[in-house]
Order: sequence, then structure tokens, then C-alpha cells
Amino acid sequence: MSTAGFVLFLVCAVVSVLGAIGTVAARRPLRAAVSLLVTIIAIAGLYLGLSAQLLAAIQLLVYAGAVVVLFIFVIMLIGPSSEGSNDATAGGRHLMVRMLSLAGMGMFTATLAFTLVDVSAQYVATPEGFGSTQVVGEALYRQSLVPFEVVSITLLVAIVGALAVARTKTAKELSEARERRAQIEKAA
Amino acid sequence: MVDLNAYLTLASLLFGIGAIGFLVRRNALIQLMSIELMLNSVNIVLVAVNRLHVDNHVGQIFSFFVIAIAAAEAAVGLAILIALFRLHKSVDTDTADTLKH
Amino acid sequence: MANLGILWIVLLPLFGAIINGMAGRFTSKRVVSVIAVGSVIGSFFLALNVFFDLTDLRAAGSEANLTFDLWRWFELSVPTVHGVTEVPVDVRFVVDELSSVMLLVITGIGSLIHIYSLGYMHDDDGFARYFAYLNLFMASMLILVLASSFPVMFVGWEGVGLCSYLLIGYWYETPAYAAAGRKAFIANRIGDFGVIVGMLALMMVSGSFEFEAINAAAPGMQRPFTLGGAEIGTFATVAGLFIFLGCTGKSAQVPLFVWLPDAMAGPTPVSALIHAATMVTAGVYLCCRISPVLLESSVVLSTIAIVGTLTALIAATIAVVQKEMKKILAYSTVSQLGFMFAAVGVGAFAAGFFHVFTHAFFKACLFLGAGSVMHAVGAHGDANILKLGGMKDRMKVTRWTFLIATAAIAGFPLTAGFFSKDELLFGAASVAMGDVLIPQWVGWFVLVGLFLAATMTAFYMYRLYYLTFTGDYRSAEKAEGGDDHAHDEDEDDAHDDDHDDAHDDAHGHDDHGHGDHGYRPRPKESEISMTFPLMVLAFGALVVGFLGMPHALHLPNWWGGWMSGSMGNLPGMGPHDHVENMTPVYVAMGLGLLAFFIGCGVATVKYRDKNEDTFTTALPKKLYAFLFDKWRFDEFYGATILRFNRGLAVLAGRIDQSFVDALLTKAPAWIAMRLGWLFTRIQVGVVHAYGLVLVVGMFGVGWWFLYPHANVEIDSVGAESANLTVGRGLGYEFRFDLDGDGNFDVPDQPSRVFIDLADDITNQEAMRVVALVRAAIAPTEWPSDRSGLGALIDREHKVYEMAPPTEALPDLRLALERAERVDEVRWENAGEAFGTQTNAELRFDAEDYQGFALVVGVLRGEPDEYELGHEPLLLDESRLGPGWSRAQEDEEEIPVAIWINEDGEVVVKPNSGAVRYRGEAMEEEFTIAAGEAAFFGRAPIRVAPIVETVVEVRNAFGNVDRETIAITLNPAPEATATNSQGARTATQAAARLAEVTR
Repeated sequence: MSTAGFVLFLVCAVVSVLGAIGTVAARRPLRAAVSLLVTIIAIAGLYLGLSAQLLAAIQLLVYAGAVVVLFIFVIMLIGPSSEGSNDATAGGRHLMVRMLSLAGMGMFTATLAFTLVDVSAQYVATPEGFGSTQVVGEALYRQSLVPFEVVSITLLVAIVGALAVARTKTAKELSEARERRAQIEKAA
Repeated sequence: MVDLNAYLTLASLLFGIGAIGFLVRRNALIQLMSIELMLNSVNIVLVAVNRLHVDNHVGQIFSFFVIAIAAAEAAVGLAILIALFRLHKSVDTDTADTLKH
Repeated sequence: MANLGILWIVLLPLFGAIINGMAGRFTSKRVVSVIAVGSVIGSFFLALNVFFDLTDLRAAGSEANLTFDLWRWFELSVPTVHGVTEVPVDVRFVVDELSSVMLLVITGIGSLIHIYSLGYMHDDDGFARYFAYLNLFMASMLILVLASSFPVMFVGWEGVGLCSYLLIGYWYETPAYAAAGRKAFIANRIGDFGVIVGMLALMMVSGSFEFEAINAAAPGMQRPFTLGGAEIGTFATVAGLFIFLGCTGKSAQVPLFVWLPDAMAGPTPVSALIHAATMVTAGVYLCCRISPVLLESSVVLSTIAIVGTLTALIAATIAVVQKEMKKILAYSTVSQLGFMFAAVGVGAFAAGFFHVFTHAFFKACLFLGAGSVMHAVGAHGDANILKLGGMKDRMKVTRWTFLIATAAIAGFPLTAGFFSKDELLFGAASVAMGDVLIPQWVGWFVLVGLFLAATMTAFYMYRLYYLTFTGDYRSAEKAEGGDDHAHDEDEDDAHDDDHDDAHDDAHGHDDHGHGDHGYRPRPKESEISMTFPLMVLAFGALVVGFLGMPHALHLPNWWGGWMSGSMGNLPGMGPHDHVENMTPVYVAMGLGLLAFFIGCGVATVKYRDKNEDTFTTALPKKLYAFLFDKWRFDEFYGATILRFNRGLAVLAGRIDQSFVDALLTKAPAWIAMRLGWLFTRIQVGVVHAYGLVLVVGMFGVGWWFLYPHANVEIDSVGAESANLTVGRGLGYEFRFDLDGDGNFDVPDQPSRVFIDLADDITNQEAMRVVALVRAAIAPTEWPSDRSGLGALIDREHKVYEMAPPTEALPDLRLALERAERVDEVRWENAGEAFGTQTNAELRFDAEDYQGFALVVGVLRGEPDEYELGHEPLLLDESRLGPGWSRAQEDEEEIPVAIWINEDGEVVVKPNSGAVRYRGEAMEEEFTIAAGEAAFFGRAPIRVAPIVETVVEVRNAFGNVDRETIAITLNPAPEATATNSQGARTATQAAARLAEVTR
């Protein structure tokens, strides 16, 4: 790998880690969302370094273009309450749980990192077209057509599900529900 | 130079950060973002390993699917979050304990 | 002679049962009727066809039977008196003389009764269920008679028992009826136990389950049967007695007859078909089937004769005083079955079976006639004859057919019963006055007993007839005035008080509740579907006797001639035997006639046109009550067996309440409650807590995947080789070191090429070849630029490095050939390579042996394995199993000692003479090589070498799992075949020799 590639990796890696920390540590959700955006862009850069050009584009489109925007929409919708209570000061009720979580997660990450040290495969040169839109697209539509279609159905279901969960009840539905509750209480 | 090991280390770092965020934060919005972080770290592993096996694109295609599912997950998760907010006027997951014993 | 018709005889009713059972509820009664009756009638015509095929075959002089082979059911490897034998059990149908007649009886009478049932059951809700059961019964009964072997027959035997149970309890809403069904089932189970034991005993001595083979082996059944070392009789005696126990259950003989009278709870056609004509005669059929075996044992025959006679007598005395139609007929059936067994017991099998045949006609006719009367008067369950009477004008067809059947069973001259009973009495008289296998006194006992029973039969049958059909209809006036009605009831109750109330409460199965009230005032003749079978059966009862006229009077006896093909007879009773002494003939005939005239005469005088029973009630009160209560058999069983069982049940109940319910249920409940409390604490409602649990789980899963898991399995172990398979996993790679020498093998490489280079290499191992060669030619010719080939060191000596070696072998060979001098060819281990192959094989030789194990094959079961060491291993009786024997009984037991000496040889120090090696009895210490066998007593032993094998598995993370396996090699079977007696078990013992230790 060339020096340029190394620099790209280094920059993207550092930025993504910083962004991730920012996401997790930010007090305000909006800042967290912006940090996530930075991380995602950095990861897209990593994909470029790994000769996954199409994936890098999709990463930007889907994550930066859709997911992060969706997050920001929700944050705007909820307004100031989206900040929630202060994590740091909100009492020690679940402090124990949190400390344990931290320890467990640290152990897990450490284990991963230590075991991965053994893996030392050097990259060789890629053949022409590796990761390009044409080749990946062909693989996608030839080898993985059925999963692809299944994923599209999954997305549709998710959209419908999200609508069903998030929408408010109409006035009629509300009054009906109230009536029903009254009946039940009467019966009891 | 940059080898698979570097990518794997980076991915586990990101994963760890995401997981810690998910476990430690109580803000449902930030927890959802942490989940996105973890999913992204997995994608990095998939793409990085795929780079070793240059004769196919299974890893890339798989991470493509992961991205799709992550988008769906974000949509549903945010919908749930909004419903939760309507109920409790809060996005604090500690308040979502209606189902506890 | 294969014959497809035989199969369809069984299949038609079976399909009928399945269709009606599954779909009958959803279709109309018409469809159900067509399927049920059609299948049985079709089966009847097929049976006729098969029967005529058989007669054609016999006319052509062939001895062969018609058979139909279906499939091999299973094979048993069992110890018989001839050693361990493979006994196959085939599902195979055979039609010979015996079963052909039985086929006709079953399907013929079955058809009539199916037709009859159409009318009788027409208004019943469970119409389809009834016919499904009835068809299933037909199929089972046909399997029973068609089976060529005991196990298949037993399927039918159990099948008819099941159908009997289902049909007795057909009106299961009435608890008493359901109880009657259970009683029948349990009494049958006791008998079935006998059949199983008898069947196994016969198999042990004949080595087969097939009736034909068993009968052929009958002469060998005089062999003594030992149980726990004690001789308890011959095989024929033991097997015969046990099978007869089964027959007493199925055919309602003393002491298991108590279920049959209760079985009348079922619908009347069922009583006619199952409990009179067919199923209950299965016992007689079975005795006839194995008649050659029974003829081998005088004890069995005498027992059968005495039990049969006792049954005939006891049941007849009970029938004399009963007051209900079906109950009388039921005891009559028990009694007649006793007649049949008495005949079997005196060796007159054909006569006994002839009585089965004739009895099927007249008893079915009687039952159906009774059913017709009950149908007409609206009785449900049973009908009290004291409340009937005068039916002769109201039901003409029923009356005449009933009278004919009564005459036949009573032995009116020239009817069916006359001839068959005459044959029975003749058999008994021949034994009494002759000199045959069975003691004479048994013959006398049977003769006198049967005479008395026959007299009583004539009496109670005519009593039944007269009270039912003559006199006035005693329920006619009841319907007219309420006062009268009440009055009559009271009187009746008072009349019955002596015996009924006192005992019926104790065993509430007499069904008075149904029989006693509500008879229709104006009964009418039943419809044609019911009277038609009656007429056919009555006609049969009149004429079928002519098939078996007494041969002693030189009359044509078709029956005896036909049957002689499939059953044995005592001398003098065969159809063509010349009878020297005519006395038994005349005695039998005289007694038969006398019995009829006495019984019929008394009944006629006392009951004709009478409206009440003054004769039997004039018996002494205690005797009457004793007889009316069926000799108190039920009470006796109740006081002994049932009471004991009930005591056990109470005890079990107490234990259940105080221990199981109290401790065993409450303790787990308490634990579950506490655990539940604990787990609800975990449900804190904090998302983070759940997340933590998730992470812990993830950690575990990750940990699992980080390390490979070898999971080695040994596929097969040979004398010098072993096959292994390692469990697959994601990204796993494997390498093997099968001989455990520290060098990993490459199992899939051909290895012979190395031998000519250097003999000291173990083949198959990935080695580095280090060749020090003085070159004879210019170094440029050395192919040093190839990958995998080492560098040229100098002109003098070259080092070749190859891994794996075959890759560059041609080059190496070239170099060696051209070499001026080869100083050294050395092979170094280069077996670092992991491969994807998951299985491996290696041949071992003596150098690989890590130790020795002693394999002791006990005669049956798994062999035992002991590891041998330098300390002697002592083997005594407890380790060698029952096959071990001392030279002398009284000698002190000295164990055999086995150990490994300094030279690595296995040494055996025998005890006094029980150790054999290479066919010789060994006295002194001797060494035994690996793989060789010897015998300690009768237990085969073997010395098996142990080798160690190492398998390593590496996963994608680079972690390695190493598993060391000790394999006990399996010595070649031929090494053990030196002794024929133990060879088989030794081979079996060799089947399991692989021990995996980690």
C-alpha cells in the first residue's frame, strides 16, 4: 500500500474514533448526531481505501443522507426535551449497573483486540474493477438476488411498522378507546 | 503498513465505543446512534476481510445488507422513541420501565 | 403358492374400518352400511374363492398351502437350545385346511351379522363407530387365522382382544358396560402373558416362530425345560401349558371365564360374532394349530381335558338358573367352549374344531334370535325371560329359527350339534376305553362330565326357549294400568330379593337396570335384514353336521378327512382309521341321545306354556343362590386378587399423598417460587441492565468462537488401522499425528515413493528432505530456482529441502541418480501444514503401540476392557461373567493373572486348566501376542494394542486445539476364530473396541 493509502487510513481512523467518542459523549443529541455524521464520512473514507468505492457511496447516501437526517428530524421534533436528564448527575440509582457495563464492555473490547493481534494477513494488489459499481452490482444481482429482494420487503415492512408505531390516534379512535374503558370499568 | 490487523483493531475500538455508549447513556437517541456505530464497525470488518479475498464481493454485499437493515432499524427505533416520548414526555430510557415486575 | 386374494381378504375389512373410522361420522348411514357390509361380503367371496383354490390343489394331489408373503417384519438373534440363532419373522399369510374353514366361518357368519347389525343398530348414534370396530375386528380375526407364525398371529390375537374391549364397552356411557369391557381386557391380558411365554418357549426349542416349523420340531420337544437349574418338565409341557393359559383367557375357560358373561354388555350382534362364533374360539384354533406339540405331552392334554370339562360343567350349572336371555346364552357359550377344549384334551382335535364350526352356526343364530326378541320388545342390554313369553305367535321367523338352533345345540338327532357332540363324546370314550397317551381316568372324567353338561345344556336351552316363546307375554298387561305395573314390579323385586340385592351391589354389572322395565307391550317381528341372517344360520345349524358324520360307522366324514391335513390326531380318531372296538362309538351315541332326551324332556314338562319358573327355584336356596351367583367366582377373585391389589393401591395412594404430593410436589413448587422471585428482581426495567446481560452473553459466544473445538470421533478401528473424523467448524484447519510420534502426517499423500529412498521413514509424514549429495555434474543443472527447493550450498554437498516432499521428488530423484556419492539422506519433520481434510486414516505397526488392553467378551452384551500394566491383572468369576468355569466345582477359585513383562510381552498365568490358547488347554505361563485370542472358560479374551493419536485443529483466529486420543485397536477377527464355540461372540465383542480419552 502506498503512503497515500496509509495517510488516508490514518486520518480516517483517527477521525472516526474521535467522532465515535463525540457521539457517545455528547450531552446534546444534536452534537452527537453531527459527530456520528463525521464518523460515517470517515468510515466511507476507509471504504475507499479498501477499494470499496460503491459501498463508500452507499454509506454516504444512506447514513449521511438518510439516517442522520432522520435523527436530526426527530431531535428537532422533540425539541429541548431531547436532551433528557443529565446522565452524569442523575443519581446513583443505576450507577452499579453502569459501572459493570463499562467493565464488561472493556473486557470484551480487550479480548477482541488481543485475539486479533494474531491475524496478520498482508493485502495484495486488487484486480481491476474490484469494488466498482459494475462488479459489485453484478454480484449483488446475480448471487444475492433473493436476499436483496427480501431486504427490500424488510424495508417496506419497517416503513409501515414505523408509521403504525409513531402516528397519533385520531379523535375517533380516542373516543372509542375511552368508551371501551368506561364499559370495562362499569362491568367491573 | 496498513494490514487487516489495523482495520480489525479499529473496528473493535469503534465497536467498544458504541457498546459503551449504548450501555452507559440513558438518552434513547444517543443509544440508537451507538447502535449505528456498532453496526458500522461490523461493516468495516466485513469490507476489510473482503479485501483479502479479492475474487469475490461477499463481504461488501453483506455490509450492503447490513446498511439496509440498519436504516430500517433506525426508522423503527426512532418511531418507537417518538411513541415513548409521547407517553412519558421524555427520551430517558430509565423511565421506560412500565413492563417491569 | 402365492395368492393375492388372501391379502385382500384381510385388507377389505381393514380398509372398511379405516374409512368408516375416519370418515364415517361425516357421511350418511347408507354409505357406512355399504362400505362396512360390502367389504365383509367381498371378503367372504374372496374366502370362498381361496377355499376352492385350496380344494382344487388338494384334488390335484398337492400338499402345498396357499401363501402370501408381505414383508420381513424383523429378525431376532436369540439363544435357542441349538445355540444363538437368527430367527426371522415374516409377515406371511397361509391358507391351509384349518385356516380355510376358519376363513369361511369368520367371513360368512361375519357377513350375516353385519347385515343383521344394519337393522339392529339402525337407530344407534354411533352407527359408523360400531361398524368401524366390527370391521376392524374382522380384519384382526382374519390376521389371527391367516398368520403363518406366532408373532403375526399375536397381532391378530391382540387386535381381536382390543376390538372385543371396544365393542363390549360400546355403550360406554353406562359405567357398568365400560367396566365389563375393562374386565374382558384384563382377563385377556393374563392369558396373553401365557401366549407370549409359550411362544418364546416354542421358539427356543424349534428355532422358529413359524407354525409349520414348530410342528415339524414337535418330536424334539421332549427335551427337558430347566428354570434356574431345576427341571420343571419337558418343553412341550411348559409351552403347552402356557399357551393353554392364553387360551383360557381368550376362550373363557376356568379360571378366566368370568369376563365372557359380562361381555354381553355389548350389542347383541357383537355377542353373536365375537363372543360366540369367532373370537372366543381362537383358543381352540390355536390348540389345533399346534396340535403336534400338544400331542407330545400327556400332562398338557390331560390338563386341557379336565379344565374343559370343568368349564363345561360349571358354566352349564350356572346357565340353568339364569334369568336373562343373553346371560344364559353366554354361559352356554362358555360351556360349549369347554366341550371343545375337552375334545382337544382327549386328542380329538378335528372333533373339537368341528364343534367350533357347528357351534358358530347355532350359537350365532341363538344370539341373533335373542337380539331379535330384545329388539322387538325394546330391551337394551339384556332381557329377562320371566317377563317375556308367548313370542311364538308374534315373531314367527325368530321363533322357528330359535327353535332349530336350540334343537341343534341340545343335540337333536341329525342336527349339527348332534354330530359334533357325538364326535366329542366318541373321543372321550375312546380315551376312556382305549390305551393311548392320556390316562384312562381322564377319559372317564371327560365322558361323564360332558354327558352331564350336555344334559344340562338341553335342559336350559329348552327352558330358555319355552319361557321366551311359549306361554303368555308377561309384559303385555303392564303398559295398560299404572297400578298393575307398580304391583308387578314390587312382586318381582320381592321375588329377586334373596339373591339379587345381596350380591349385585357387590358387583354391579348385572344390568338389571336396563333389562327390567319398559318392555314394549306389542312386540313385532323384526325387519328382513335381521330375519334373513337368522334363516341362513338356522339352515346351517340344520345341515352342516352332515359334513362330519361318524367315520367309525363308515359314514362319509368329509370334515375329518379335510382336517387331517393340518392337525394331528390320536390313533383311532383319524378319519380313515379303522375302529376295532365299537363300544366307544355306541356309548358316545347313546349318551348323546340320552342327554338330549333327559334335558329336553324335563324342560318340556316343566316349562312348556308355563309363565313362571317353579322348577329351578325349587332348588335348595343356598345352592340356587350359589349357582345364580356363578359359583361366586367374582367374589372369590374380589376377595383374593382384587383385595390384594386394592390394598396395594391404597398403600400407593398413601405414599402418593404423603410423599409425592406433599414433598415432591411442594418442594419443587417452593423452589420455583423462590427462583421466580429472584428472576423478577432481575426484571428491573432498566434498559442498561438488560444490555449488560446481552454483553455477557456476547462475551460467552465470542469466547466460544475464539477457540476451536476438535470433537474427534473414531469412525472405525481395524486390526492395524483407524479412521478418524474431526468436527468441522468455521475456518477450521486440521492436522493429524496418527501414530503419536510427534510428527504430523499428511494423510492424503501417496507415500510409497519414499520407501526406496530411505526405509526408515514412516510414510505419510510431511518431512523435509535433507540430502547431502556430492554432485557429479555442474551446479547449474540443479533446479535451484524452483519454489520449495532449497539453495545449493556448495559444489560438494547439496541440501534439498522440500515440504511436502512429493512436490519436488522427481528433481530430488534426478539429483540422487546423478550424484557421485550420496552421503546422507535425512528426513526432518516439516509437518507444520494444516489442511482442510477432516478425516484421516493410518496403519499402525508394532512400533506405534503405547500399551496393551485386555478385551474380555462376555457371552452376551458389551465386552469389558482392562488396561494391562506391569502389575498382574487378576481375572476371576466376577469379571469374566457366567461363562467362566473352574476345572472342578469344589476347587478353590484361582484367578487368571495377566501382565506385561520387561520385554513388553503380554504374559498369561492360567489357573487350573480352564484357559485355552490356540485350541490347547494351557497349564503353564505363556505369552500372547497382540491381536491374539484365548479363552478363559467360555469367555473369549483378546489382547489389543493401544495407540495414541494427536489431532490439532486451528481456527481462523490462529488458536489451536490439541486432542490426544488413545485408540484400542481391534484385532482381526480371524485371529479369534480358533475356537468355534466362542467365535461368534468374539466377533461381536470386536465390534466395540474404541475408547476415547482426552
